[in-house]
Amino acid sequence: MKRVEVKLNLEAVAPLLDAIKAAADELQPTLAVTPQVPDLEEEFAADWRQELLQNQTSDLNILLGLFGTDFFITGVVPLDATNSEPILRACSAVRLWLRSQSLAAVGDEALETGEMPLLETTETQRRAFAAYVFLGTLQELIVQHLDPTELE
Amino acid sequence: MIVVSAQPQSDPLAATALQAQVAPQWHVVVLNDPVNLMSYVVMIFKKVFGWSEAKARVHMLEVHERGRSLLWTGAREPAEAYVFTLQQWHLTAVLEAA
Repeated sequence: MKRVEVKLNLEAVAPLLDAIKAAADELQPTLAVTPQVPDLEEEFAADWRQELLQNQTSDLNILLGLFGTDFFITGVVPLDATNSEPILRACSAVRLWLRSQSLAAVGDEALETGEMPLLETTETQRRAFAAYVFLGTLQELIVQHLDPTELE
Repeated sequence: MIVVSAQPQSDPLAATALQAQVAPQWHVVVLNDPVNLMSYVVMIFKKVFGWSEAKARVHMLEVHERGRSLLWTGAREPAEAYVFTLQQWHLTAVLEAA
């Protein structure tokens, strides 16, 4: 099984984990994106949302699991075929949540280019932005080296 | 309870063909969002629909440039399954009557 170990700079990443964990906590009872559920009976629509939420929670737990005790000793996150898909989805969920919450006031262009006007932003926004960029980089890395469609 | 009809079907094959012909069709559409990465969206399209990199890229660019892309059309049940799967990947997927 293909496996990639990513060595991260602990000093740079550790502060971002607070923003990621906070977002993951906020996402426990809610979905990152409100889904447009097809016109179904209310019972089925509720099941639809509930299943999406359960999957999102499971994915987020796998993402947070990357940054456990071992990570703080080695600075390494192991990625492989078993965790790459949930981590990709969890990164997307957290990025969407950060975008809609902490970074709502920041324009799309700044988020896309990665050039944030530092003087006009708060410390919370800067940390959320760094977490947003970090998770995007993690996604790029997984797609590049562990594309699930290539591993099948 | 299973109800068995005692009425003979005059031409079951013709009836099935007609049913298939008039069965409503549904579109699976993905809308643009400012967060998900292009490479991530391409990967999802490849995975969910089994498309080539080139086809997945065409649809991703359509979403990016036109705000939406029609990904699949067919019966209601598989269309719902596609929408659900795409929503699991946090794409803004919707079901539309064809």
